[in-house]
Amino acid sequence: MKIPAYQTPELRRKNVRLAWVLAGLALFFLVTSFPFWTGLFRIVGTQAMQ
Amino acid sequence: MSTTTMTHDEAHHHEAPKGWRRWLFSTNHKDIGTLYLLFALTMLFLGGASAMLIRLELFQPGIQLLDPDLYNNLVTNHALIMIFGAVMPAAAGLANWMIPMMIGAPDMALPRMNNLSFWVLPAAATMLILSFVVPFFPGGGTQINTGWTLYPPLSVQVGMSMDFLIFAIHLLGISSVLASINIIVTLLNMRAPGMTLLKMPMFCWTWLVTAFLLILVVPVLAGGVTMLLFDRHFGTSFFDAAGGGDPVLFQHLFWFFGHPEVYILLLPSIGVLSHVIPAFSRKPLFGYNSMVGAMLAVATIGMVVWAHHQYTVGMSLGAVTYFMIGTILISIPVGLMIFNFIATMWRGSMTFETPMLFAVGIVLMFTFGGLSGVMLAVVPADMQYHDSMFVVAHFHYVLMPGAVFGLFAGVFYWLPKWTGHMYDEKLGKIFFWINVISFNITFFPQHFLGLAGMPRRIVDYNVMFTEFNVISSVGAMIFGLSHLLFLYIVIKTIRGGKKAESRAWEGAKGLEWELDSPPAFHTWTVAPQIK
Ligand code: HEM
Ligand SMILES: [Cu+2]
Repeated sequence: MKIPAYQTPELRRKNVRLAWVLAGLALFFLVTSFPFWTGLFRIVGTQAMQ
Repeated sequence: MSTTTMTHDEAHHHEAPKGWRRWLFSTNHKDIGTLYLLFALTMLFLGGASAMLIRLELFQPGIQLLDPDLYNNLVTNHALIMIFGAVMPAAAGLANWMIPMMIGAPDMALPRMNNLSFWVLPAAATMLILSFVVPFFPGGGTQINTGWTLYPPLSVQVGMSMDFLIFAIHLLGISSVLASINIIVTLLNMRAPGMTLLKMPMFCWTWLVTAFLLILVVPVLAGGVTMLLFDRHFGTSFFDAAGGGDPVLFQHLFWFFGHPEVYILLLPSIGVLSHVIPAFSRKPLFGYNSMVGAMLAVATIGMVVWAHHQYTVGMSLGAVTYFMIGTILISIPVGLMIFNFIATMWRGSMTFETPMLFAVGIVLMFTFGGLSGVMLAVVPADMQYHDSMFVVAHFHYVLMPGAVFGLFAGVFYWLPKWTGHMYDEKLGKIFFWINVISFNITFFPQHFLGLAGMPRRIVDYNVMFTEFNVISSVGAMIFGLSHLLFLYIVIKTIRGGKKAESRAWEGAKGLEWELDSPPAFHTWTVAPQIK
């Protein structure tokens, strides 16, 4: 198996960087899913009641 | 943006490797796309077999074939196999094959990660199947009787097969997130020079949105099932009221994933339609920009309406009202997409090859499913419909046309490109008609059953529901078996047939049609210029 030859090192770095940013986003949603979204749900619920 | 270092000459030295290594170690988007599609097809037949068993049991009232636990185990397995095993991998297969060819890129941005995304799947499928069969072994515990929604407390009480299932979901999630990252990076960084975002083919747009949805919601599902795992084994009580937890919390986490998931299943097929309908109407897609806008609206609103699946759990009036209004709002951008499709066909010189037949069928039947969706979105009405066969009818009308038929349309549309052969048009049309008619025979009566009060996920039913169940089951047998014809057509096309031209359909537009049919192992090693 060879490292693909069609990407310039510069493009390769750019790709990997963006991939990590997106992975970070996924991780962020993983760790915040529990408190954040239920909190938002409660706020929406109580606000709408007023 | 320059994307190539390899000259044309070098490219020719890179022929496909031989034997099993070609597939196991593949970093080639076309080969990985093929793997995804074959995997999905296999799962389609597994999931189909479980569905036919379910319908066989429901053919008559009383318990004939399956004991209640096995029945519920099958219902759970059927949904998970179809959603995670068939539809999502098939859409990923189309993405792998088409996205690089459509945007003029030589391959996906992260080819080795692409290999990993696929090869996690067979492991995940093994776990999924184990979760079904483990209870049949001595000491294997009870069967999974929760349905695909895995609500606690039931899911905490199920035997060890639930642990296999949780592990399977983790693996499936990893595969989806990695594939999504790859697709986003490819679409954002690898487009041919001159292809701005708003010149991107619509299939690429639908996948860009789908991939973002996946990244945002799959981790939440992973979080939810991990908490479930902890409740099961490590003494936590996230979902256990006795320990200060809340079982409804799981429902929120599940549906925060689950509702966007339906758009994840839908959007790639909407992308396919956005190519098929213009090609066979011989007109450009009507309202490209509004289509992109509508999709972003669907995705955004779709993220914040999840609790319409839980109207009956006793939320506050304010919450329930909010979720009702939000849900009904979504039908506006969805309706706009349908409008655009109809406007594209309007006064076009239409022909009805198999992909187009599916496309027109989708526009009609998907819209019908959307209408029953709006009925379900209305809280007082849903209090009656919830957990009835009406819901089953609704989601099969949106998912079968909205997702599966769209994938069929895509396969028929692009099969000439992939294989270099035209499929047998006559057989394709026969498949369409058998498939679509039997689909309606299967699922249309379920609306009446639901309205009359037949609950879903129950092995037995009152004798008064017999007639419609008989019709539905007969339809289901034809529907299930009709897919053998699909398999036959695909195999026949791979093995031979009329030679396909590079532009297999005269009305087809886009970079993929400038490549040979079948395309070389490496394509667009020199990026095309987009005007
Ligand atoms: C106008 C659009 C739609 C509306 C207003 C809508 C509304 C609803 C509502 C309120 C429910 C919950 C019913 C209940 O359990 O009592 C539901 C269930 C469901 N919908 Fe839709 N829906 C729409 C479109 C879609 C689409 C496009 C898909 C998939 C492609 C979809 C797939 C599903 C599924 C899978 C379920 C059942 C989930 C389960 O309980 O297992 N829906 N829909
Ligand atoms: Cu929903």
